[in-house]
Amino acid sequence: MKALRLIGIGWVFQLKMLSRSEFDGLLGVLWPLFFATTAFFMFRTTHDSRALLYAALGSSVMGIWSSTSVAASSALQRERWYGTLELVVGTPAHFSLVLIPITLAMATVGIYSMAATLLWGWALFGIGVHIVHPLLFVLAVPVTILAIGLLGFLLSVTVVRYRTAWALGNALEYPVWLVCGFLVPLSLFPGWVRPISWALAPTWGVRAIRQAALGGSPFWPMAACVGLAALYGVVGALLVNTVLRSARRSASLSLT
Amino acid sequence: MAAIEAEKLRRTYKQTSGFLRRRTKRIEAVRGIDFEVAEGELFGLLGPNGAGKTTTIKMLVTLLIPSSGAARVLGHDVVDEARTVRRKIGYVFGGDRGAYERLSGLDNLRYFSELYGVPPKVQKRRIPELLDLVGLTGREKERVEGYSRGMKQRLHIARGLLHDPPVVVLDEPTIGLDPVGAREIRHTISDLAQAGKTVLLTTHYMYEADALCDRIAVIAEGEIVAEGTPSALKSVVADRTVVEIEAFGLPEGALERVRASPGVTSVSVEEREHVQLLLVQAPKGLELTQQLLGCLGDVRVGRVSAREPTLEDAYVSLVTGS
Amino acid sequence: MTSLRIFFIGGLTSYRALFNWLTPWILVPSFLVAPLFQILLFAYIGRTTRLESDEFYVIGNAIQYAAIPCLFAMGNTIGGERFQHTLPLVLATPAGRLPLFIGRSLPVIVNGFLVAAFALVAGGALLGVHVPLSAVAPLVLVVLITSFSCTGLGLVNAALGLRVRETAVLSNILFGILLVFCGVNVPLSSLPDWMSTISEGLPLTHGIAAARRLADGAGLGSVAGLIGAELLIGCIYAIAGYLLLRLMEVESRRRGTLEIA
Repeated sequence: MKALRLIGIGWVFQLKMLSRSEFDGLLGVLWPLFFATTAFFMFRTTHDSRALLYAALGSSVMGIWSSTSVAASSALQRERWYGTLELVVGTPAHFSLVLIPITLAMATVGIYSMAATLLWGWALFGIGVHIVHPLLFVLAVPVTILAIGLLGFLLSVTVVRYRTAWALGNALEYPVWLVCGFLVPLSLFPGWVRPISWALAPTWGVRAIRQAALGGSPFWPMAACVGLAALYGVVGALLVNTVLRSARRSASLSLT
Repeated sequence: MAAIEAEKLRRTYKQTSGFLRRRTKRIEAVRGIDFEVAEGELFGLLGPNGAGKTTTIKMLVTLLIPSSGAARVLGHDVVDEARTVRRKIGYVFGGDRGAYERLSGLDNLRYFSELYGVPPKVQKRRIPELLDLVGLTGREKERVEGYSRGMKQRLHIARGLLHDPPVVVLDEPTIGLDPVGAREIRHTISDLAQAGKTVLLTTHYMYEADALCDRIAVIAEGEIVAEGTPSALKSVVADRTVVEIEAFGLPEGALERVRASPGVTSVSVEEREHVQLLLVQAPKGLELTQQLLGCLGDVRVGRVSAREPTLEDAYVSLVTGS
Repeated sequence: MTSLRIFFIGGLTSYRALFNWLTPWILVPSFLVAPLFQILLFAYIGRTTRLESDEFYVIGNAIQYAAIPCLFAMGNTIGGERFQHTLPLVLATPAGRLPLFIGRSLPVIVNGFLVAAFALVAGGALLGVHVPLSAVAPLVLVVLITSFSCTGLGLVNAALGLRVRETAVLSNILFGILLVFCGVNVPLSSLPDWMSTISEGLPLTHGIAAARRLADGAGLGSVAGLIGAELLIGCIYAIAGYLLLRLMEVESRRRGTLEIA
């Protein structure tokens, strides 16, 4: 299918772009690491190795969200800056097929942070990552990346009107870490928070990863992840049309 | 069927300023433009900076929605059938931006050809052809950030032709280029027209429009002030003569006196290094030199000559409305 | 007297510059949402691990939020000047460096203070944490002193920033170190000994400890020692930073690397 080919080629292209940008590669890994370290110290006081592993797995996904949230919300602004937004909108390809590879690539880059966090936990805190279902684990990770990438896509489209959208993306970093249960079991939250958590794909992604590692069934969480990702994609694609039309009306596709 | 049709195109911008008390200003960039470009024609949109050329172009390539009026490309409306129009139009603009600088020229071309839906087999053949056409063969694997301005410009042209569009729109393609580079680009543009494509070109370089275009529309302050072949436009000023006066420092009020002088139809000043070149248009046959020198007063004067008007003078006359 | 003028006028200019780009769209997410959620995040982790009380986290993170902007204010001031290529111009003036830069950073400091106050109130309300009214005034004092000591560290950061190109990375690393070492969320007793030793030499540590005691109802007198320590640390860093700044400046001028560094 042409759409899949476009997303695939776009994804490779964007990964190439990210690998060559001064995109704080180092900072992208370090930043979540500081929070993970704090979490590890806090969890260590429980003297429960399962709890530590729980924390390690959860905090490893923090980086995937961090590498996506700010960058995704400023994705369109960056394209405007390069002067390529107009050119890309001027092609017959549906704009969502252009934007999805961008946010997918950002989420993919988060894998460095994931590996770094797990390594850090193992090296400095002795958290052994024993994975019960390795194959399912290996599947759960890209599914989570896909879900986060598409959430990033939805984010990038909804905030496009605001020139300072990066601030919104930045502000969403901690809330997602908290509400999606990366480090806190959802049962601790008041009841009204639960639906919000469930509507966010990272919740299911983290759950899938943890189930695969700790020995549970990651099947339903992964299915929920994929389902939500598809939903984000569809909603985002519909929004894209509205957003672009509005941008063409208000002449905000270029810097000048 | 005309390749490009613009009907009473209008575009207004709203500009807001201020933090607490927002003030809105309405700027009419394009005020009712009508023109048609026939298939296979090389049409020029000529005008000074800020005249509305780029705004008009952006409306035609579906990047801006007109405030009112309509435009069609090969019969397809630019607002309602945007996708179809995008398949049939290639858009090239001058300037430093417009490519993914950290990647190579080849990467950029491959990416955009995917966006244009060019089948892989066709890409394999066409990309090297285009690189050859624009003279970038051998440099395509280098990062665009290392390209000279001329090379970037040529990459833009290659990008605009990836999907072999029947209509090509170029917005100031030679801006900021050295004379050699600019000449090469112009050559490429005329080749495109020779190959049967419809080409719409905007520029503020008169000689460029004169040399390349079959027909020209002169646009000033959002309106078309004249339209026709280069020779037809020249005839606007055919019955005039142009007096050139080199002055070393124009005194206060001199320009106004010259303008008000009987018989003078238009005056413009070109700043050269130490002198100002005064270009005065007046009907042929009138001997105005003494009168004009009188208006200038005591200032030191260099060369004074009278000559036939060029397209440039026609342009000045049209744009200043005289 | 001139120094004082530079201090205030510099501050005012900075304030207006701040408002030029500051829209509610930046203000609300960055200054209200982020600090509040930082408190909530760690308070909930605290509940999960049954470590310390909610109040522990509210105070720790709120104070950190007040002080952190002070840490970056200097670095940003200098970075901003460098970005606009006005750094050589500014440094060429005979104005005293210290009042100049501190004045420029004043709005940021005030800003941090207001943000922390909001976080304290809002976070406290959400988590059911109450600070006794009598503790408010002493807390304000503690925050001011902690902000001062962070500003001192900020001067060091700024001086290093003259040399290093990646000032953002440096600043964020500093933030991370303070987050982990200074007892913001991890009680010092839970840190290995070598780490808690370093903590004693960093700003924030004593200030946060003092604030926690005050919130528990202790009197100002009982935390005087902690406040004094915080003040002393601040002064040491400020002096070190100032000297380093002058050193860097002189060296940059000698090598001609002020612009690029």
